[in-house]
Amino acid sequence: MADGQGSSRSPASPNGGGSHESGGDQSPRSNVREQDRFLPIANISRIMKKALPANGKIAKDAKETVQECVSEFISFITSEASDKCQREKRKTINGDDLLWAMATLGFEDYIEPLKVYLARYREGDTKGTSKAADGSTKRDGMQPGPNSQLAHQGSYSQGMNYGNSQGQHMMVPMQGTE
Amino acid sequence: MRQAGAYSGILSRKTGPHSLPLARIKKIMKKSSDDVKMISGEAPIVFSKACELFIEELTKRAWIIMTNNNMHEKRRSTLQKDDVASAIIATDVFDFLVNLVSNTTHDHNNCEELNDEESRQDSP
Repeated sequence: MADGQGSSRSPASPNGGGSHESGGDQSPRSNVREQDRFLPIANISRIMKKALPANGKIAKDAKETVQECVSEFISFITSEASDKCQREKRKTINGDDLLWAMATLGFEDYIEPLKVYLARYREGDTKGTSKAADGSTKRDGMQPGPNSQLAHQGSYSQGMNYGNSQGQHMMVPMQGTE
Repeated sequence: MRQAGAYSGILSRKTGPHSLPLARIKKIMKKSSDDVKMISGEAPIVFSKACELFIEELTKRAWIIMTNNNMHEKRRSTLQKDDVASAIIATDVFDFLVNLVSNTTHDHNNCEELNDEESRQDSP
């Protein structure tokens, strides 16, 4: 209906309206792509602000640059971890692989804080989110709790004795930036 | 420390202990290579913290560079893209990002906003 009429707008119909007027319809579609590629800018911005003194301000283009860098960081680490899994003929990339990749690629400063973070997570102080975080990990029905379940699949065999850091509940200071 | 939803299990990802959305992290992981087929539940959790550390480090380094430059230029307290780019160039572990900051210089055009910021900072 009203196909050729440029003046009649039909916002409800998906293909209605002239191409001139429906420019706004395209933004949701491009947003979807953006969402696949980047982490939310609000979260990035919050973490950036935390790292700066109280009077520090951040320009939008700086946030966007960091946003792109974070995605690149994830891909960079994941690719390295994925290569390792292929060499070892494993299909699933796990936390150990990522830690190994970070250490290999020069981010060894992150390993210790990450191990503490993981240990805390495994101890189950995030009961509420463990379900959401499980993702691809399947529970075998017997409700073992995050501790015992993850202990099986996540033992740090490559010289990363996360057991050492278990039980530390302290806040992890940012390392290696000063 | 009590949090809403901690017991009902409906704690949303936003308010959870992870400051970055795990599902999104997983998507970006899967996009990084065709070889990435399966990802353990723990992997995005590792990344949620790792990305936080990464963002903090990049931001702090950029800030240091900016404040050092302030000694020569006019003072400003707004971190800008150039500062982030300088931090990347100056830091070895960020080498993998060099192409990204040199290629996309004209990607985001925020001239208006920057001028606005700068004019506010102009008075010494």
